[in-house]
Amino acid sequence: MSSGQPAAGSGQQPAAGSGQSFVRSTMRIFDLSLGEMLWARRTIFMALIVAAPVFLAVVSRIVSANGTAVLRINGERVGGGGIFGVMIWILYLKFIIPALGVFYGTSLIADEVEDKTITYLFTRPIPRRSIVMGKYLAYVACAASVVLPSVMIVFMLMVPFGEIGRSFGPLLGDLGIIAIGLAVYGAVFLLAGVMLKRPLVAGLVFAFGWEPIALLLPGYLKHFTIAYYLQALMPQAMPADDTLSLLQAVVRDVPSATVSLLWLLFALVIALILAMRAVESREYILEQ
Amino acid sequence: MTAVIEAEHLSKWYGQVSGLNDVTVAVPSGITGLLGPNGAGKSTFMKLVTGQLRPSTGTVRVCGDPIWGNPAQYFRLGFCPEQDAFYERMTGLEWVTALARLHGLSPDAADAAARRALETVDLLEAADRKIGAYSKGMRQRVKLAQAIAHDPALLILDEPLSGLDPIMRRRTIRLIKDWGCAGKSILVSSHILHEIEAMTSNILLMHNGRILAEGNVYQIRALIDEHPHTVSIRVGDPRALARRLLTDEDVSSLRFEPGVVVVETPRPDAFYSRLTQLAASGEGGTIEEVTSPDDNLQAVFTYLVKT
Repeated sequence: MSSGQPAAGSGQQPAAGSGQSFVRSTMRIFDLSLGEMLWARRTIFMALIVAAPVFLAVVSRIVSANGTAVLRINGERVGGGGIFGVMIWILYLKFIIPALGVFYGTSLIADEVEDKTITYLFTRPIPRRSIVMGKYLAYVACAASVVLPSVMIVFMLMVPFGEIGRSFGPLLGDLGIIAIGLAVYGAVFLLAGVMLKRPLVAGLVFAFGWEPIALLLPGYLKHFTIAYYLQALMPQAMPADDTLSLLQAVVRDVPSATVSLLWLLFALVIALILAMRAVESREYILEQ
Repeated sequence: MTAVIEAEHLSKWYGQVSGLNDVTVAVPSGITGLLGPNGAGKSTFMKLVTGQLRPSTGTVRVCGDPIWGNPAQYFRLGFCPEQDAFYERMTGLEWVTALARLHGLSPDAADAAARRALETVDLLEAADRKIGAYSKGMRQRVKLAQAIAHDPALLILDEPLSGLDPIMRRRTIRLIKDWGCAGKSILVSSHILHEIEAMTSNILLMHNGRILAEGNVYQIRALIDEHPHTVSIRVGDPRALARRLLTDEDVSSLRFEPGVVVVETPRPDAFYSRLTQLAASGEGGTIEEVTSPDDNLQAVFTYLVKT
């Protein structure tokens, strides 16, 4: 080893009392986590998931080019724009976004604990809550950077060229709803990840068990889902041609967009605050 | 001497299991060795001292201030954990720089600090290689680099010599001693007496979650010498190394395990010195890893507990 002298000698040792600011620490954790996340195996899995709608859009485009109707509802041929709307709701909002929320959100802190790398973050002069927030923001950025381009590619493939200008406004709306969905599901499952012992199982049950069932039931249970409020933000009514959708239409009780946004914001903020408080106060016993 | 770490009636329980039991101790500035067999409570003590765990009862203060929930304390504390855990896809330089940034350094300052730290631990040449491709010794050294990069006044090193080859072991011991001479306070744990003895004479002996003894290492030296010291050496050609070692008076017995020579020696200091020479000369093949089961230390502790 080259020298016995201390390494840095920068002497950055302010008086004890407080660590670095929350915002500054959050941005540094964001920087550290985003790079790790973008190249993680989980991101490859995410890219494969969001490639599925693109593949379906390509197939649909090829089929429609032959003059065959890809989707008919009540005997009426549904155009590319309509199919795009169906894909946004069924593929993205009901499957991809909750799935990404579960797999990413639950692992944001749990992976660091399982890999025992959390020690390096917990022994730095930064508030623990900034670790939670920085990782959460990195998840939102990473997920949005993979999912939103996929939506735009599907849009370009599905919507006829002449309708693109007219449909661009609704597209921005769809992108916004997807971003909100990623943020809210991510925050809720992040909370599950720091509070529960088996967050992945609980998350999957919530996203693919509880939510579809609660949406079907009359009464207030659907208010305890995220999909209920996301559905209310959809700019276009979803086409219905099966019994399930008709049943949903009967029990449909849609809040206004403003009310939905406020509830989603409330869920996001509360989930993040609880997750940060849990990590601040919790001890992590790492087995050697 | 002023105490850098003060614990008063410090206990830690994991459910029904006691990790640390009513420890009251003042760790002075300078180098202090924390010695005890596996499961003695060394790591629990270090986790309490580094604020990763909250005391069940009692208090722990670092440089006069509590550590749990007090992140500003980490400006003056550097921690090298025992676990072999990393962001494997990052290079050594990226990792140490990113962690230095969490101490409030600008990108340029963090990069410079990381390079200095990596140079200090002889890892600058491999700084741009991914940590996943590092050998065990390099991984141990990059952990040391992240602990010193922000120039802390107090270093907590949990088994820093674990898995190092004899030459790196000797260099790391020298480095820790030099840091001590440069005014750093260092608490270093090990289950191997002669390692601690090579760094400092000031030790804390732990056993079953308690501080069994504190003070000068030479007081227990005589006890430890009564028990043969076991050394396990992973080497490319175990039989060639065994042939070399058998000519040595410091070896009392020797046996083989797959890829490993297990040696018992009544004089560990002389034996390790000889082993380092062998490693440097390449005689007996390339030595990959040297570990020491703590059987002999356990025997001493058992003796101390009985008396």
